Amino acid sequence: MSSPSIAPGRQVSLPSRAVPLSWVLLLALLVHGPLLLMQITNDSYDADFHKFFAAHYAQHWFNPWNEKWFTGFSQTTYPPMEQQWMALFSHVIGLNLAYIFVQLIAILLLPIGVYRYARIWVGERAASYAAIGSVLLGSLASLVYVDGQLSTTWAAPLYLIALAYFYEWAREGKAMALAKALALTMAAASAHHVTLLFASVIFTIPVVVIALMDRKRDGADATTAGVISRSAIFAALSLGGIILVLLPYWLALKANPIKQMPIPHGSRENFFSQGWLAVNYILVPWGAMLLAVPFIFVKGLKESRLRPLFFGFWLTMLFALGGTTPLPRMLLGMLAGVVNVITGANVHNPFDILTFERFSFWANLMALPIVALLAVSLIDRYGRKAAFVLGTLAAFTVAFAVSWPVYHPIHDAPFSTAEVISFLNRDGHDKFRYLTLGFGSKMSEVGIGANASSVDGEYNSARLLPEMTQYGSAQLTNSKYYGTNGIESLRAVLKHADQYGLKYIFVRDPYYEPLIAFAGWRKTEVYDRGNVSLWVKDGISPAHRTPYGTPPTAMEGILWGTLPIGSSIIALLLMLMFPDKRRKLEPIEFPLNANEPVLREAR
Amino acid sequence: MRKLIFIGLIVALCWFAADCAHAADLNLPKDAVAGQPLSIGTSGTGTLYLIGPGQVIKREFKSGGNIEIKGEELRSAGRWIAIARGDVRQSQIFWVKPGKPENLNFLARPSRVPVARPNVITGVAFIFDKYQNLILDPTPVNFNLAVGGTGSSKTVTSRDGIAWTNSASAPKAGAAQFVASVGGTQVRRVVQQVAADPCNLRMHVAGRANNNVVIETDPIRDCSGNPVPDGTIVSFIQTDRSGRSTVDSRIKKGIARAELPVSDNATITVAAGVVLGNELHVGGKQ
Amino acid sequence: MGRILAVIFAVLTVGLIAIGTVHGSRNAQASTPEGAVQAMFGNAKGHDWNGAYSYVASSSNVDQGGFIRDLTGRNGSLRTYSQLDSVNTRVLHESDTEATVRTELKYATAVGVSFDTRDLKVVKEDGAWKVQWPAEKEVHVPPQVIPVNYLRWDIVWRGAGDDWGAQNVENPNCRILSMNAVERDGGLIIMGEVENEDTVPAFITVGAVLTDNAGKDVAEESSFDKISHVLLPKEVSPYRIDFPGIKKSDVKSVRMTHDWMLVPASADPVIGVLHQRIEKDITGRTVLKGELLNESGTTVNIPHVLATFYDNGGKVIWVSDAYSDHALLPQTPQPFSVALRDDLAANVHTYRVTVNHYSREN
Repeated sequence: MSSPSIAPGRQVSLPSRAVPLSWVLLLALLVHGPLLLMQITNDSYDADFHKFFAAHYAQHWFNPWNEKWFTGFSQTTYPPMEQQWMALFSHVIGLNLAYIFVQLIAILLLPIGVYRYARIWVGERAASYAAIGSVLLGSLASLVYVDGQLSTTWAAPLYLIALAYFYEWAREGKAMALAKALALTMAAASAHHVTLLFASVIFTIPVVVIALMDRKRDGADATTAGVISRSAIFAALSLGGIILVLLPYWLALKANPIKQMPIPHGSRENFFSQGWLAVNYILVPWGAMLLAVPFIFVKGLKESRLRPLFFGFWLTMLFALGGTTPLPRMLLGMLAGVVNVITGANVHNPFDILTFERFSFWANLMALPIVALLAVSLIDRYGRKAAFVLGTLAAFTVAFAVSWPVYHPIHDAPFSTAEVISFLNRDGHDKFRYLTLGFGSKMSEVGIGANASSVDGEYNSARLLPEMTQYGSAQLTNSKYYGTNGIESLRAVLKHADQYGLKYIFVRDPYYEPLIAFAGWRKTEVYDRGNVSLWVKDGISPAHRTPYGTPPTAMEGILWGTLPIGSSIIALLLMLMFPDKRRKLEPIEFPLNANEPVLREAR
Repeated sequence: MRKLIFIGLIVALCWFAADCAHAADLNLPKDAVAGQPLSIGTSGTGTLYLIGPGQVIKREFKSGGNIEIKGEELRSAGRWIAIARGDVRQSQIFWVKPGKPENLNFLARPSRVPVARPNVITGVAFIFDKYQNLILDPTPVNFNLAVGGTGSSKTVTSRDGIAWTNSASAPKAGAAQFVASVGGTQVRRVVQQVAADPCNLRMHVAGRANNNVVIETDPIRDCSGNPVPDGTIVSFIQTDRSGRSTVDSRIKKGIARAELPVSDNATITVAAGVVLGNELHVGGKQ
Repeated sequence: MGRILAVIFAVLTVGLIAIGTVHGSRNAQASTPEGAVQAMFGNAKGHDWNGAYSYVASSSNVDQGGFIRDLTGRNGSLRTYSQLDSVNTRVLHESDTEATVRTELKYATAVGVSFDTRDLKVVKEDGAWKVQWPAEKEVHVPPQVIPVNYLRWDIVWRGAGDDWGAQNVENPNCRILSMNAVERDGGLIIMGEVENEDTVPAFITVGAVLTDNAGKDVAEESSFDKISHVLLPKEVSPYRIDFPGIKKSDVKSVRMTHDWMLVPASADPVIGVLHQRIEKDITGRTVLKGELLNESGTTVNIPHVLATFYDNGGKVIWVSDAYSDHALLPQTPQPFSVALRDDLAANVHTYRVTVNHYSREN
């Protein structure tokens, strides 16, 4: 990846230059390195989920069947790439540091991706500012330090870089650009399937349109038909590649389509119905970028080259607002309707399954090139003062997002699961299944350490037990937060404790004690100074295999262990072995004003 | 020819003598007992290995001295092999008997039993010496089952190291001391002899409290006269015009007590488990 | 062109947000009796207590604190472990100034779904409908000493250091007294009674395995919470095991499974069940009603009532249960109600009520 530079011979002041990408990467390291090393991200919502998957890959690379959750489920239901990298690194630095390291790689990839994507729309200087902005995004900090959405933060930069190569391929027809774009697209799909589904629309369509608009730009001489046909080739090859690298995922999805009832989530609410929702889903992820929204509207619609980007941004922004507007529910409902008409299936409205916080991140990424133009004009006009103000606002944005859990805690007081794990791993207790109640995401921590199998789990889409899928509730450990659905789901599972070999229940929240006491469990031990109690039911037979779900075949295991991570290795090799030729330096920045740029300093 | 025969005889004699001399290299006692010292005669120089059940003893010997094995070293009864290595190479088998009875393992079943039931209590004693070797020789074992100082005693001779007995539970409730003894060793177990089902369950009105009528049973005993244990559920059921009222009372200090709502004409019944008691009519004519 | 487009999109965005955000204010004046009840419980569900209380008629004679405690529960009762899930209302009677609204409240509680049906009186005050809230009388137990000979069983189990001959304390002797299999609502139900015949407390679980004509096990269920798991000496508990979706004709035999364990237990509290009678509730369904009286000195947080119904042959024909959403304070009667199937009411000759309980550790 070449660093941006400036036109030779131009005498420009520091704020007027494009910032070298190496500096941006250094900034990313400076901002996120200490935060990551403080292991803040290890307390994020999904961190233990990723570590749980990675821990399994570390032990059983070619066997994605994991019996520790849901009485047994296939990890082919979730793209594995970053978790497999974590598994590899964990052998050297342990699971916690491996998670941090892999997350750091994603953070470092992001400014590169944003720079490459922004360069499609704006000049080098603005693109470098966009890259800086990507490091300080509130939505990035929120996804990394609060939500723990490692997959989203990995997939997005890979897609952005892939799209830059696709743009090159569509306009110039370079085979190497196509190869790189394909490898990166497959790697991105291997990182996150939801990003794959939506990014292919919201990120790609604006790039196809701009490729058509730019078919004669910068020395390219493509025809409309050429751009469209090359886009079609890319789409077809991508589709084939994605089907191939995630083949076990599609097979698992076909065997067990997601049939679960909708599970409530804050991101589907109207954010103005409760104050904390507005802060959590608007103020935290958008931060100071909210101030730039009017500019995005004006600039994005004023410049014809920016309009495709703006339309993509606008639609993504509306999706990021979740249930605040009726549009996402309406559009996704129409999409489901079309699918149902074509396939004859009975697909529910995906709005009720998706969570929308990641759309803020994508909308932010799409807004960055336009916001960078605002930064350029402000710095040009006010110099270092503007740079200082913009930097301060960006710093506050990232600081607010990182510190938000302090003011709006997502976890209960910390507690230790060591004694729980120790109990499960001794005296043959792992012959039986267990359940945690009130553990939150610590459930995954127990899953990582314990050999025993649980009937619960943290990945909703992998659930096959009918007692869980037929109720609109997520993890049993948090069932009280899902109203009647949650408690009925818990009752249904407890009723079938005999069938599942469910003997041990670890209770962190006394709310659940009446039910399990009336249902025949007895409190026998207390751990962590009374924080956790163990309840035991006598007369339960040891756990045996349940009829729900089929383990992947050995071939699927081999494919799963090679193709997804292989696609990322191929992408890396292509980038290293065939580096991009340094682009010709561009003295003109977008938007072009023929009279101004060169003479401004002279004035 | 005669010379040849003479020479052959001489050779055979020397061979025999040498062999006899060899046999005398290890002189093992025939009545070795676990826990008692053992003296083994040897000749020549070498190493003696004694390999017994779960135990190996190794000794160096020189110029034919006796090897002394201490009593605490020879712990295992059973089949031993003595192997000598050195000037001579020889092995012999010898048997070690268990020592005198010093330990008992006593299994008493059940831990809790209703009174006055025939052959419900069993006791099995395993007789061991100091080093937990099962004593296979017939040994008399005394079993004593007593509640409150009175009870029965029986002596049983063990067979193959095991002695057993069975017994009826006493008519008197209480913690029966079930003792097995052999020699100076005795082991005690507790068999809780508990009252059987209530017998002749009767209640009466004991007074009034807080606008309720207090019903109390007579001391509740089983058919042998033992008090039914505290905590046993006794159900009082009152039926009147306003419906039924029930109290599942617990026996405390031998009696059960319940407060039932005052009624101008009610029938009260009492039951413990499947045993029914008398019936009371309160408020109207009794 | 660009500016016009920007304005159009800005207006479009704001418009979409407005469409998604505009909804009837929960604190608007209620124009119908049903609206007043819905608004009151809607606010209560969102924990907007000021908003909810604004729909309470002044003639209710209840202060806001009492109103909140009525809705959120007291003394660690089941109501304190509950969240209001949904409210269904139906106007039974309406005049210009007052109305009666039947309100079915659905709660998510710690032990499952709970329903509460009330007929609320709604009156017109200052031109708006308001709910005349039937304030619960807060019970205060007078200061007193309640002597309790605290009776409990503790167990010394066999220790790791004991020799192998040392006997352990044995599990209690319990017996399934009766078992009756009936088909109801498209499922098979097995019910009966179990007794602890021993002199020590027992922790019991009862289940059943159904075998089809080919001798294959087709279903396995347990009595779950339709049983009293801790039985004191000579105590009898009903049990009910539900097999939804299984027909009696498909079952050849039933294999009962059970587990009796010796556990430490307390003989307290003693809960009397007073004035039991079968009658109709306000919705016309047959119920067994009565009062629970906690005769001990400590609060029982969640009482669980198990009712056994017998026919004139003494056979168990139905077992039903209900959780009371009020705590049992010492010496204070508390009403309860257990549903009885209407189609069985005529066959019920007698019945027996036992009370299971959960008390929070202090």
